[in-house]
Amino acid sequence: MSNPKKPHITVMRSQLSRARGLGSGQAGVGHWWAERASAVALVPLSGWFVIQVFRLAGASQPEVAKWGARPLNTTMMLSLVILTFYHTQLGLQVIIDDYVHGKAHLPAGLLMKGIVFLLGLFGTVSVLKLALAGSSRGKIAAG
Amino acid sequence: MVEFRLPKNSTVGKGRIFTAAPGATNVKNFRIYRWSPDDDKNPVVDTYEIDLDKIGPMVLDALIHIKNDVDSTLTFRRSCREGICGSCAMNIAGENTLACLKPIRDIEGDIAIYPLPHMPVIKDLVPDLDGAYAQLRSIDPWLKSDTLPPPDSERRQSIEERAELDGMWECILCFCCSTSCPSYWWNGDRYLGPATLLAAYRWIADSRDEHAGDRLDALEDPLKLYACRTIMNCTQTCPKGLNPAKAIGRIKELQLERKA
Repeated sequence: MSNPKKPHITVMRSQLSRARGLGSGQAGVGHWWAERASAVALVPLSGWFVIQVFRLAGASQPEVAKWGARPLNTTMMLSLVILTFYHTQLGLQVIIDDYVHGKAHLPAGLLMKGIVFLLGLFGTVSVLKLALAGSSRGKIAAG
Repeated sequence: MVEFRLPKNSTVGKGRIFTAAPGATNVKNFRIYRWSPDDDKNPVVDTYEIDLDKIGPMVLDALIHIKNDVDSTLTFRRSCREGICGSCAMNIAGENTLACLKPIRDIEGDIAIYPLPHMPVIKDLVPDLDGAYAQLRSIDPWLKSDTLPPPDSERRQSIEERAELDGMWECILCFCCSTSCPSYWWNGDRYLGPATLLAAYRWIADSRDEHAGDRLDALEDPLKLYACRTIMNCTQTCPKGLNPAKAIGRIKELQLERKA
């Protein structure tokens, strides 16, 4: 050993202690399953949405508003929006778990969830506005 | 954050070239990672021109030839030279495998040889596997049974129960799979890695073991188990042709099954 510089060792904890760490977090199953279940649910919802967009191609604003006011369409749209953003935050959390370590991990997750929540809420409010505005306009027109 | 670039003292430089003897006709270049803890130098890649007519067919034959006849300072692990000890696991031509099972003729052009990726290097091609071994130890890889064995015989298994262990008992713990896994690279301090999870499932699936629930409890963790993103590098790289990804998938199925 010709190296004169002795490195300062900061970790002398045994390898087994490091491997066991803080034990099992008793979590992960729910997240893993929710990710898959929401993905499966989004397949028919997304397919339905694509078909509807094609059907509405070239439609006028009142026609679209009328479409959006139908309870079935509102239900499907709300399901799509809520599940999409729910699935988004599950997936982004995985990316943060993989790539953001240490002290930044918790704030990064909170920031991501906050942004996704607001975007999802914005989409939900938009769908509701379309649904309810259509019906009130109908009433005014009728009245 | 994850480090995507090598630290300054790990960037690899150009090394020496060991030319083949004059008159050699069947020459192949072996470009081998070299690093020694004994000086402050960065790692380098040395090039060895090897006459394939003088050596056996496997990459390990070339490494042994280099150590015996060309450059005795080259350091690597090897023992059985027939794919059962797992010592000569290394990254050959970009793929983790056993040098003793990798035929030279399967690789076109120069052969680049590095230690198993993303592990601390002890010297040259020798990685530090202490952490990986400790993770294996942490899942208690042995039979745990509260029922005493029959006094006059062994614990018995049906043929079907024994067949459950096929594809798992063959693992030789070379850690080619764990060190090929990006999840293990980024979170190797907490994610157990495919080799250890395969060993864990080997005991969960063993009909003689009575602690499957405890074992599943110990694995139910966002990172220990669920850092597996089904990338499948483990199964693709396994030099024994095993399928650690399938074993991990089975553990996840059982975790779900016991919740409902």
